[in-house]
Amino acid sequence: MLRFIVRRLLQLIPTLLGLSILLFVWLQRLPGGPENALLPDNAPPEQREALRESLGLDEPFTVQYFSFLGRILQGDLGASIHTGRPVLEEFLTRFPATFELAVTAIVIAVAAGLPLGYLAARRRGGALDFAAVGGSLLGICTPVFFLAFLLKVGLAEQLGLFPSAFRLSPAVNRTDITGFFVLDGLMTREWDVVWDALLHLALPGLALASIPLAVITRMTRASVLEVMGEDYVRTANAKGLHRTTVRTRHVLRNALLPVVTAVGLLSGQLFAGAVLTESVFAFPGIGSFIYEATHGRDYPVLTGFILLIAAMYVVINLLVDISYSLLDPRVRAQ
Amino acid sequence: MPTTPSSPNQSGVPDRDEAAVAEDGRVPLHRRKAAKADRLAELMGTRVDEGQISGIWIDAFRRMRRNPMAITGAVIVVVFVVVALLSPLLAPYSPTSQAWGSEVFPNRNEFVGPRAENWLGLDHLGRDLYSRFVIGARQTLMVGVVATLVGFFFGALLGGAAGSCAVLGGRWGARVDNVLMRIIDMMLALPTLLLAVTVAALVGPSLTTVMLAVGIAQIPIFARLLRGAMLAQGNRDYVLAAQSLGVRKRKIALTHILPNSMGPVIVQSTLTLATAIIDAAALSYLGLGNPDASSPEWGTMLAEAQRFLSTAPALAVYPALGIIITALGFTLLGESLREALDPKLRK
Repeated sequence: MLRFIVRRLLQLIPTLLGLSILLFVWLQRLPGGPENALLPDNAPPEQREALRESLGLDEPFTVQYFSFLGRILQGDLGASIHTGRPVLEEFLTRFPATFELAVTAIVIAVAAGLPLGYLAARRRGGALDFAAVGGSLLGICTPVFFLAFLLKVGLAEQLGLFPSAFRLSPAVNRTDITGFFVLDGLMTREWDVVWDALLHLALPGLALASIPLAVITRMTRASVLEVMGEDYVRTANAKGLHRTTVRTRHVLRNALLPVVTAVGLLSGQLFAGAVLTESVFAFPGIGSFIYEATHGRDYPVLTGFILLIAAMYVVINLLVDISYSLLDPRVRAQ
Repeated sequence: MPTTPSSPNQSGVPDRDEAAVAEDGRVPLHRRKAAKADRLAELMGTRVDEGQISGIWIDAFRRMRRNPMAITGAVIVVVFVVVALLSPLLAPYSPTSQAWGSEVFPNRNEFVGPRAENWLGLDHLGRDLYSRFVIGARQTLMVGVVATLVGFFFGALLGGAAGSCAVLGGRWGARVDNVLMRIIDMMLALPTLLLAVTVAALVGPSLTTVMLAVGIAQIPIFARLLRGAMLAQGNRDYVLAAQSLGVRKRKIALTHILPNSMGPVIVQSTLTLATAIIDAAALSYLGLGNPDASSPEWGTMLAEAQRFLSTAPALAVYPALGIIITALGFTLLGESLREALDPKLRK
């Protein structure tokens, strides 16, 4: 197992290098380029040239690439145009909020999607199946930000069931340890903080969970249907194994493989979805920050965010591979 | 024994007929008619399979005709396209005319609902909502189609190059394929919406940007699909036959492998039309959408209307319903097409 992880980590190096080249070309060399994003449209050519020079854009390609790589490796993503503070610092202070939100969304999606997909497959063609398939189609087709607004206006503002903005009510006092509000509350046993933070997470989490929930439900359903038709399931049933054993050890274990991959990929997408939900609920995470950055064309922040997402994707992919090898011994042997 | 798609269980057919005859007196007429129609379809299905050559597309079409999902999707898509194409005739007023501007006061929560002259009421600037909705359908369709075409064209170019290199290019071809696929995989790693956001943020907001951004974000998906399909075709007998007959490689790739690999790509195009419309709405919400008010688009309308969701929900509901139903239509159509083309998904 350890050898598998080490080998996977070593394989990451060429991937990361390739990714850095791709991102470099994408971000620095795209028509328009940084100087267009930084300057107003009517800037004189001399000013443009001066900026290109100060950004080092007139140097040879390879020199530019290595200085870009060097800066990233030192954690230097530049400074935000609007706040003037380093981009990495801005991200790190907002990361716990978004991470908490993403975890909430993924927990909702998995906790509801897996059983729903499984039951829909078990009773194929039934009312639950119809509702699950229809609901997930609807979930995929609804713009996330619209759903977020609906939840906010309906459940928070009209019915008053949930708070409509921020991470915590102003009246609640909190001891700061990690920046993760729920975790902090649990550690200091301030149960009111835990409850309040969870209430604030509920609606943005639900909105963010809509697409993963839909995808997980559909994938689980399709996957369980496929596995239930396999010969080994028939054999297991025929040799008189207990129903529960067949369902857990044979059907679910095999059906979960593609779902795990999907969950991994979806987790990466969550940070992009957070841009759409956090801004609706004024949730002070990376998403709201990016929302403001797109409105102000804050170029360093946007590029930094892409780098962050790319790095996260690589880490998540590694985790998916590891969980794969836990579920399926054949992967380990490769 | 070759089983036709329409009769997965041929041995069961006579049983059902016998039952129908035995209980003739009690079985309602429409049941008997249905049984007859089923039998007829089965016989015809068998005949087609035995005699004529029926193409995969004709088969798929026949299967889709009986799938309620496909019919619903097709109806939605047809209505949407017709409305979009005929929108200049259907819209009674100019979508930008603020002729009723003196009747709407968003600050005082005074909005005008549906009435005889404005079927869906007025928006927050006193423009006719129905005209905007109908003209918006046109713009939305254009965004969806152009974005999909961009993704389709460049994706197919990349994927087709990688696929034909891998299948026909020998050892060097495999290397080229490897490099291309690594790039595509890395592009795939970034969420499509984020790719679109970077493009839009770099180039600046406009309708063209939205279409390009959404389309570019779809390139890796198309590339992967086409390459995968071409690889699957690569070791088929007909490719081997063409190769041994000395057909030029370019010709094999373009006229033999490519047409046979288009299935999944066409399915994806249908699904992408839905994604493109939703992504375009998200871009509008992020302020990267079309700033030109003269051509309303559902995404822009929805993004603008969010502010009034608690006071005048109708402003947001119409474009939102438009987006959701249209996306649903394309998704249903694409999914049922996929089902009809893929024997593994059929049961």
